[in-house]
Amino acid sequence: MLISFAESIVDSMLTQWIQSTYWLWPVLEITHFIGLTLLLGGLIVIDLRMAGFFRAIDPAATHKLLPAVILGFALNLITGILFFYGDPMRYSINIGFQIKMVLVIIAGLNAAVYHFKVDPILQTMDRNLASPAIAKLVALTSLGAWTGVLLLGRLIPYVGTG
Amino acid sequence: MFLELENTAIALWVGTSLWAYPFLLSIHIVGLAIVVGIFSMRDLRLLGIFSSLSIRTFCYLQNLAIAGFVLNAVSGVLLFTSQASVFVTSIPFLTKISAILVGMVLAFVIQSKLTSEVDIKTKLLAVVSLACWTSAIIAGRLIAYIF
Repeated sequence: MLISFAESIVDSMLTQWIQSTYWLWPVLEITHFIGLTLLLGGLIVIDLRMAGFFRAIDPAATHKLLPAVILGFALNLITGILFFYGDPMRYSINIGFQIKMVLVIIAGLNAAVYHFKVDPILQTMDRNLASPAIAKLVALTSLGAWTGVLLLGRLIPYVGTG
Repeated sequence: MFLELENTAIALWVGTSLWAYPFLLSIHIVGLAIVVGIFSMRDLRLLGIFSSLSIRTFCYLQNLAIAGFVLNAVSGVLLFTSQASVFVTSIPFLTKISAILVGMVLAFVIQSKLTSEVDIKTKLLAVVSLACWTSAIIAGRLIAYIF
């Protein structure tokens, strides 16, 4: 599916523009790195507190960082799509990229569990009490998945085809 | 001196082992996310964003950010050894290291101000700190493009 999509876009105008604009790739990379610091910076605080660490921090207030997380994700989604369009045949068959995308999907589903299941529970309880098990699980899954995304993303140029 | 460093056993291991370099790069990006992630949230908070989050939150996170820094100092030194003579003349590399040094000094200055009211001076430090970490990321990425 990924490979047939890559084949369908490889001759697109967007691909040709990205490949012929010599300064664009480093600009996209820098933006992708800044995006990841916003995404992870916010999540480190939110998830570690939700997992039960740093008990001195007010757990409800950590969620004010969510706009930074969402902005970081949006930046990285846009720059990520442009990377894929810029070199579709290389990314689509790369095992590092494929696993990275699976982890992004897991992180997305996990965020949905947070939004629809965990957040409503947290809203109704005294947040200074210990987090319920499902909240800890969601927090640790989030940190684990995103750490995996970072590791796999960095390995894309070094691993082979899948 | 830097050529000698490149020929030490550890530098040769980093440079020639199939997995050492990508492994260290992967560690380096996790450390980056921890250090710059926490410090940028702190600086944005000092500038008035997420204002219902207590500034003291970042007192507790300082040690975690320093742990991320140590992770990156170690992985960074190891990456450096493999191509020391190239890096040491690289303008982006030298810019990156300068920005990180200023950013870390500022981190300790800002840490000492997290328990009091945010004044204009602290906000200014936050702006400079954000600029340092952004510059470090930009310069770090450009190492691969500008020789």
